[in-house]
Amino acid sequence: MDSLRKLYPWFALLGLAVGGLVLAGYYKDEFREWKRWQQEYAAQELNRATTPEQKEQARALPIEIKQIVLPELQRVDRCTTCHLAVEDSSYAGVKQPLAYHPNHARHPFEKFGCTICHQGQGRATEREAAHGRVAHWEHPMLAMKYIEASCAKCHAATDVPRSPLLARGRALFEEQGCIGCHKLGGFGGNLGPELDKVGAKRSPEWLAKHFKSPAELVPGSGMPPVKRSDADVAALTLFMLGQTGERLTEYYVSMKTIPGPDIGQRLFGQKGCIGCHSVGGKGGTVGPALDGVTQRRTTDWIVKHFRDPAAISPESVMPKFNFTESEIRSLASFLGSLTGADVLSFMKIPAQASPVERGRAVYLKYGCGGCHGTSGEGGVPNHNAKSNQQIPPLTAANDLADVFLESFITEGVPEIGKLDPNGPKPPIYMPGFGDKISEGELADLISYLRSLKP
Amino acid sequence: MKSLKQIWLTFAGTRVGQSIFRVGLPESNLGRMQAMVSSFLLHLHPAKVHRHSLQFSYTLGLGLISLYLFLILCITGVALMFFYVPSPEHAYDNMKDLEFVVSAGMIARNMHRWSAHLMVLCVFLHMCRVFYTGGYKPPREFNWIVGVGLFVMTLVLSFTGYLLPWDQLAFWAITVGTNIAGYAPVVGKKIQFLLLGGNIVGESSLLRFYVLHVIVLPAAVVFMIAIHFWRVRKDGGLSRPGEPDVLVQQSETGPLSTSKTYGLMELARGTSPAVGLKPEDEVPVWPHLLFREILLFLATMAVVMFLSVFWNAPLEEFANPTHPPNPAKAPWYFLGLQELVAYSAFWGGVAVPALLLVALVALPYLDHQRVGIGVWFARERRVAVTIFTICVVAAVVLTAIGTYFRGPNWDWVWPWAASAVTPH
Amino acid sequence: MNKGHSPPATPAATPVPQPYHRDSRRDFIWLTLGWLASLFALAASGFATLRSLVPNVLYEPSRRFKAGRPGDYPDDTATFIEEVRLFIVRKGNSYRAMSGICPHLGCTVNPTVGKYPFLCPCHGSHFDPNGAVVSGPSPRGLAWHLVSLSKDGRLVVDMDQTVTHDKTLVIKA
Repeated sequence: MDSLRKLYPWFALLGLAVGGLVLAGYYKDEFREWKRWQQEYAAQELNRATTPEQKEQARALPIEIKQIVLPELQRVDRCTTCHLAVEDSSYAGVKQPLAYHPNHARHPFEKFGCTICHQGQGRATEREAAHGRVAHWEHPMLAMKYIEASCAKCHAATDVPRSPLLARGRALFEEQGCIGCHKLGGFGGNLGPELDKVGAKRSPEWLAKHFKSPAELVPGSGMPPVKRSDADVAALTLFMLGQTGERLTEYYVSMKTIPGPDIGQRLFGQKGCIGCHSVGGKGGTVGPALDGVTQRRTTDWIVKHFRDPAAISPESVMPKFNFTESEIRSLASFLGSLTGADVLSFMKIPAQASPVERGRAVYLKYGCGGCHGTSGEGGVPNHNAKSNQQIPPLTAANDLADVFLESFITEGVPEIGKLDPNGPKPPIYMPGFGDKISEGELADLISYLRSLKP
Repeated sequence: MKSLKQIWLTFAGTRVGQSIFRVGLPESNLGRMQAMVSSFLLHLHPAKVHRHSLQFSYTLGLGLISLYLFLILCITGVALMFFYVPSPEHAYDNMKDLEFVVSAGMIARNMHRWSAHLMVLCVFLHMCRVFYTGGYKPPREFNWIVGVGLFVMTLVLSFTGYLLPWDQLAFWAITVGTNIAGYAPVVGKKIQFLLLGGNIVGESSLLRFYVLHVIVLPAAVVFMIAIHFWRVRKDGGLSRPGEPDVLVQQSETGPLSTSKTYGLMELARGTSPAVGLKPEDEVPVWPHLLFREILLFLATMAVVMFLSVFWNAPLEEFANPTHPPNPAKAPWYFLGLQELVAYSAFWGGVAVPALLLVALVALPYLDHQRVGIGVWFARERRVAVTIFTICVVAAVVLTAIGTYFRGPNWDWVWPWAASAVTPH
Repeated sequence: MNKGHSPPATPAATPVPQPYHRDSRRDFIWLTLGWLASLFALAASGFATLRSLVPNVLYEPSRRFKAGRPGDYPDDTATFIEEVRLFIVRKGNSYRAMSGICPHLGCTVNPTVGKYPFLCPCHGSHFDPNGAVVSGPSPRGLAWHLVSLSKDGRLVVDMDQTVTHDKTLVIKA
């Protein structure tokens, strides 16, 4: 019987241990950082209150988790649990987390939340976790330096007038011929990985470093380093960060308040405008040719005409398409670009140009410059390639017959001769463009190649 | 204390109290034993128990601890079900909400996670204890098999629960784990397909694992635990040295168990104890066993709570079928098998697990000499003990290698090296 | 075996040797401490479990929400906002918000044409344009909620604040 008595102290000890641990668990669960900030905010509000009514309101502020539920963006942002004053301009200049967020009129918080632009972990309610600087969270908060990348989630790079960086990044992307090896938006080569979701996968630091020395981060990569200034690399990085592949639902797409010519161009194709109208001599003849139309008509006329063609020119047989205002402005913007003031050069071949000029556009369109140099000068390293471990310049094209040039372009050169027969296979080879390039483009490209002088 | 008891007694004495408790708060050993047989919750116990069975050094309390962990798992599991939707769209977000907005959500998840790991460990150790003390020998052969079944069920329960958070850890552990099952000949691929509800881990796999995890398997385990406990009682309590040899007698109506433990009947009628049992070796279950059970429960709770308060259950990135981690590892208790699969798919995926299972089931029928029962590492059982120990050590070493010594590309790494992947 | 008929309640008449040494003060302290701590842990865990079921965040639409610009609502009509089951009633420059939830048993009322604009399809309560019950089982009229204007010029409806039907928000043109 005594054996049982010996256990009594253990009973007390274990009981107290469990009780104590329950209390510890409660403490950990109950006392959270965000509650402190809400108290701080309530104190500030009370301080600022002048009328008894305002004081009453400040005292009645609840201590609770605040969240913005964004089902269409598949997000729940709880940032405002601590960042309580984002909408109150009287908090401008106050230290975080109680600072005011300027410039949110066009992107109201209740529709956009926070993380769609800033990234981080919206569901988290602890600082480090919420800012995404914890293990196992792939999207830490975007540094302000790169914040404009988020614009590209909804807006085309050329549509954001206040982000020259984004436009610069896009332009560099075209100039560098990235599309020769990488696919973006379903267009481009197969030598490198697709870039549609690269912004969601890679960190800014990784991208910037990778541009400067690809092989250092991806062993065996044949991608040539981007030999540009730091500012250019940053712009390119920013453009890449915007490519997250997120699909936004109708509300957000229709809210694109900055309509761009590329949306107009897409619409132009989708609605089959070319069936009745011609551009650069190609297309239907039912309606008038559209080259230079913006010089003949005012923007106001064009916009009104899109809304209801018959209302402005009673003779018109053009149907009423029920475009949204945003679409109309995009189309108008695209028509304006037909005069030649076009920013999206690589997607579109200037219609009335010499074959050599058109060939140059084809050269850019398919990203040939990525490997062959901006003007066919070659020189991009290709480890263990017979041709001096480099991609040869294209200036020798004149010596080859059209048939050979055509077959090089359409069939590609899958096997590159090795410098050291026992060495590794050279990483870069010439892919075939036969299934992408049209007959006309091919002829133009060859004209351009023949124009290249050593 | 005194006044609390007074209140209790007063209540138990009323008509309502009597109708519920039948015997009130017993004041004597006789009353306590009456309570043991007349109360549903207490009648799972005998009225009296052998002193030997109370020795902690004999049982280490492993069976009971396993039961307690199972109970904790059931309770925390139900609490978690209120916050969980078994769909790839919601599961991961539900985990985040448990962590960040549900009161006591994280601690409930932690308790569930740690109890699950501990249960796998305790059930395994319980099996080792039973082996080393010869507890599977006649007449307890069948209960050993039920126990092996419970061990397998515990592994499957833990495995199905592993997928539910729908993070990288979950996704790839289940992908790797089910692929090990896929190595089984003929049926392997079919079982894998049926379990996943497709060729890859996806929406239907999550739903299947969920249903298995929250209702099918727990129900089966409860049923098997009932049989396990029933057989412990019917096979004469816990194994101990000097048990009577003949426990089953033939009669005209077939085998009739005479291995009856002490019930109230014998005592109340003043009969003498059954053969081989001396009355002075027996003590009333109330309080001697019940108090120890409470103590063991508190100890289990203390360990689980301690782990849960200070270490969070892991949650990695959202499941991404295109980006496997390197190395992708199965849950830790299958890493021994994964290590074997790395050498030979056939041996690791098929032969070894099948042989082990067959050996465990056949063991009580092969090794049925009633020697060395109720003693740890009995001298007479040197051969059996040695063979079993080799198997256990091999399993532990392989599991440890798979868990701690395997890095990217399943290459050998030293766990203390900086780049070592921490096991989960 | 004879578990079928219940044993009689045991009177503690005959003195039996006690298993506990109740005279020991130390034992008493240990036991009391152990029981109190264990019962506390049990009660606290039970409370925590219940507390966890009280949601800290809601995924339903907020009870206080922005309902867009005043100009979005056509004059002299009641516009129904499905998400929150609420009518925004505009008359000239004055704005009001009327609940579309029947106070009887919580069904959604339909605007119907005819004499009485609002009808509850579940049990046939009719409400007049001011939300008052005209016929049917509803114990009260439809509730009116407070409408205010936010700093950025949007209507704000607070469904937690009930007002009389003649309380309007007047926006100066």
